[in-house]
Amino acid sequence: MIRLGRHGVALVGVLVIVASAVLAALAPALAPADPIRNDLLSRLTPPMWMDGGSGRHPLGTDTLGRDVVSRLLYGARVSLLVGFAAVLVAGAVGVALGLVAGYYGGRLDDLLMRVGDVQLAFPVLVLAIAVLSVLGASLGNVIVVLGVTGWVTYARIARAETLSLRQRDFVEGARALGARDGAILWRHILPNVLPPITVVATFSVARTIIAEASLSFLGLGIPPPAPSWGAMLDEGRNYLTTGWWLALFPGLAILLLVLGINLVGDWLRDALDPRVERGM
Amino acid sequence: MARFLARRLIHAVFVVWGVVTVVFFILRLTGDPAAFLVDQTATREEIFHARHLLGLDRPLHAQYLDFIAAVPRGDFGLSIQQRRPALPIVLEHLWPATAELALAAIVLATVLAIPLGVVAATHRDGPLDHLSRVGSLFLQSMPSFWLGLMLILVFAVALGGLLPAFGSGSLRHLILPALTLAAAPLAQNVRLIRSGLLEVLQQDYVRTARAKGLAERGVVYRHALRNAAGPFLTVTGLSLGFMLSGTLVIETVFSWPGLGRLMVQAVPGRDFPVIQAAVVVFAVLFVAVNLIVDVVHGLVDPRARVA
Amino acid sequence: MAPWLVLLVTAVLVLLTPPGAAAQASTVDGVTIDPDAELVVALADDTNNMDPRIGMGSIRSNYIRQVFESLVDVDHAGKPVPGLALAWKPVNDLTWEFTLRRGVTFHDGEPFNADTVLFNLDRFFRRNLDKHGIKDVAAGTSFEKVYPFVTRWEKVDDHTVRIHTSEPAANLWDSIGREPLVPRAWTVKNGVEALNERPVGTGPWKLVEWKRKNHMLFERNERYWGAPPRMKRLRFVIIPEAAARIAALRAGQVGLIEAVPPLDAGVLEREPTLRVVSSVQKLACRIYLNGRAKDTYESGGRDGAFADPKVRLALNLAVNREAIVQKIFHGLAIVNASPVATVAYGYAAQEAYPFDPARARALLAEATGKDGPPSLDLLFPTKHYGQAFDETVPAVVEMLKDVGVPVNVKALDFGTLLQTLTKGTLPPNGGFAACRTSNNLDADDFVRDWATTTLVNWTPYPPELMTLYQGTRRQVDPKKRLALLADLQRRVRDWAPVVSLYQEVKAYAHSTRVLRFTPTQELNMDFRGVALKK
Repeated sequence: MIRLGRHGVALVGVLVIVASAVLAALAPALAPADPIRNDLLSRLTPPMWMDGGSGRHPLGTDTLGRDVVSRLLYGARVSLLVGFAAVLVAGAVGVALGLVAGYYGGRLDDLLMRVGDVQLAFPVLVLAIAVLSVLGASLGNVIVVLGVTGWVTYARIARAETLSLRQRDFVEGARALGARDGAILWRHILPNVLPPITVVATFSVARTIIAEASLSFLGLGIPPPAPSWGAMLDEGRNYLTTGWWLALFPGLAILLLVLGINLVGDWLRDALDPRVERGM
Repeated sequence: MARFLARRLIHAVFVVWGVVTVVFFILRLTGDPAAFLVDQTATREEIFHARHLLGLDRPLHAQYLDFIAAVPRGDFGLSIQQRRPALPIVLEHLWPATAELALAAIVLATVLAIPLGVVAATHRDGPLDHLSRVGSLFLQSMPSFWLGLMLILVFAVALGGLLPAFGSGSLRHLILPALTLAAAPLAQNVRLIRSGLLEVLQQDYVRTARAKGLAERGVVYRHALRNAAGPFLTVTGLSLGFMLSGTLVIETVFSWPGLGRLMVQAVPGRDFPVIQAAVVVFAVLFVAVNLIVDVVHGLVDPRARVA
Repeated sequence: MAPWLVLLVTAVLVLLTPPGAAAQASTVDGVTIDPDAELVVALADDTNNMDPRIGMGSIRSNYIRQVFESLVDVDHAGKPVPGLALAWKPVNDLTWEFTLRRGVTFHDGEPFNADTVLFNLDRFFRRNLDKHGIKDVAAGTSFEKVYPFVTRWEKVDDHTVRIHTSEPAANLWDSIGREPLVPRAWTVKNGVEALNERPVGTGPWKLVEWKRKNHMLFERNERYWGAPPRMKRLRFVIIPEAAARIAALRAGQVGLIEAVPPLDAGVLEREPTLRVVSSVQKLACRIYLNGRAKDTYESGGRDGAFADPKVRLALNLAVNREAIVQKIFHGLAIVNASPVATVAYGYAAQEAYPFDPARARALLAEATGKDGPPSLDLLFPTKHYGQAFDETVPAVVEMLKDVGVPVNVKALDFGTLLQTLTKGTLPPNGGFAACRTSNNLDADDFVRDWATTTLVNWTPYPPELMTLYQGTRRQVDPKKRLALLADLQRRVRDWAPVVSLYQEVKAYAHSTRVLRFTPTQELNMDFRGVALKK
């Protein structure tokens, strides 16, 4: 067992994320074939090391003859984009609401927390299904849905931090000096909120990537023919016996990327906020 | 204590009401089930007639008031697809199917986690600990449905039907879906128990007990586990909520006839009464579990009784 | 053996054989069967209702038609044969007469007679519901709108019914005759909701138990008017996953499965303990294009971009149907250029659309000039018509792109598609992929698609085709009518209202213990002659 130590493991995670991002960005150059164009004649070609495989399609082709490697590369774009963008949206909305709720308290705080509770009790997938049927499924809408359903955790953390900081001397002092609320929130409270938020956000990215894959798996996410790892898994599901490579590789891709993100998240948590429950 | 309980109860009712209302309005935005009842070759008049018979052309607030008045009675209307009361349909799918699955998963995630977490904690930084850490991370990083598919590939396909891939009805059918559902929570619990134990093992009274010469095992299990229970309980409560969501996907993969699969099928079919009933049942369960966890936590640890 | 000995032995055997058992032969094709056996059949989905009025799609028909029957029955070759009616004929241009079978009873003993038929007609056309004391239901087919020319009906005697129309209606025998019939007194007594709980019909199978989304259990109707089934029980179990159905069949948990995916059918064929059978179905899958004039729909006030038949014909020439049939369906689909399914009554074979991308381009250039072909916003309902359909549509999209038609695919769920169609909000350059099947035997059910404003009619008939169509409705002489239908089909083929994709062939697989199972061309399976080896 390689004794990488705490930092070494995180480094692996960072490498994985960076590698995914680079591969995704360079997808047009690296992909052996067009990920969308189908070619009935070469459907269900196995990976190249097997009988019937060819070097033209290293990991085989799917039911419409589309190259798996290409779809994996372009799918990386989707996963990374959705993961980070949705968390950005959720984080921005959640932190803003949490800061306001914690700082001003009172009725506003109550209302926000109640709404948050209601949302938590709502199965995310059902909400996503319902909203996506109204808005139509598209990359942008999926980001919006996953973002909007995720704000509660950030709001809670921001609120908790704000509550405890609000009473502190330096804040009282700043107020006494006539500093405006906005400035106080921005300069004094927000920087303290960011570390735990960052930790949660990192794990959130991982969860969001899996959530997007789940939505696509259920047929509700990024619509075909756009390549998405979840949608590839959904297609592969019907061909477990005759086309096992269709289900194996996208899942491995998700696993590796999410693992990398979780490793980084672990390290960040140890570094930034040892108070946050371990294992979460 | 009573005030605490009362406050939490009122809060819980409010949350359920919120969920009921939100789902009611969102659903009506997504379209209407009338078109499903009729053929593609139907005329628009027939669809309007179907809508009328279903009561869907009444003003929205009237529908809502009737609906909200009927909910406490347990009356969610008739399923549009199955022409019978919606709530019994939902409950039929919840029990025994989803309940079996969720309970089996919780049992697996809890019971297996304790010895694994203890081993990891007591062999801190040893190879077993590292193994458990890596394994945990892996399990928490994979999409549950992919794990399910891989398990099917191995046990049902490659090993020639050692375990059934689909359906329900026997213990053999329960194994793969329950394992899949339990995987991520199990991983999480192992880490939790490990870290909780590690924290506690440093504390004074444990050192005292050790100094008194009590057997290591006894020390670990009796004192430490009891105190690590607090956060563990909270997380179990939360993970029940995630598990309920997880059943949506797992039941689809394994064709398990439970509530999750019912919802996934009812939403495209716009069967409003069933979807509404299912979401409310989910919410009630989620809220109830959290309430119980809060109360137990409050009982065990008075510090946690702050609202 | 001496002839007299043969006679003696035969006489003894006949005398010793109990009378009922003669109808229940204990061998079929020389194989001993078990008359008390239970056949387990795995289907892909459960029915939502058992009341035939509510809907008769392909899933529901399978369940409903085991219990209920209609006036007109169908044999395995797709020919109409007497069912609950022994004969049907037009007595004059405006009257059809149905002669009913005698001695038929419903499962609860209620007799089937002319009153039953009148009651059912009242239900179809929503008349006298108050008088009967039953509630209305949201119906799959609204007879009063689709067949508004049916004016009244009467009984001539207990076993003869006449239906009057305001204009000649050549296929009324099919429109009315294929609708399953429910009992009168029972429905009035128990209410229409009860039809969905414990339906009572005249069919060869009685519904004994129904656990929704799980299974439905039927038992042989011993008093069936025809030959009672050769098995005691029939159990339909619901297994949505195709792979799971196949696994169950292999494991011996079920005896027969439906909807075998094309790839798996080939694999299963090679197994010695299984048999794979298939049958052409009436399901025709197409891409419908928006060719409506702006005064007939409400979106944006613009004409549909695909109103020009040349453009639609060009699109038809761009599709490589052979590749689809071979590569996606592995031969389990057929190509059909006629709007009417090949197994419908009145089908006339049409010249296939050749796969000719060059000519397609030329036609498009001719039709649209320097504007270029219109782009297509295609609504694609996924996970509704099956895996093969979900694979076909993207392949076809590629083929359309290859001839220069920009296609924008919008995958959505079927409900959303229905909504768009109901509201009439398909964009001017819009189209959608959908399949059309038929519960009726006559070609009319297919060609009427473009004659009225329905959900699927986005290319209404021009006046000359409308006249021709109405002529086929009114022509009572069968030979003349077939000729008119053939002419209509030829013209519709050239007019190309839709891009035809394929017509379904359905594959079933069963264990070799199951004897005499023949798939029908209808939407339901027929188990009347089926037996299980002992």
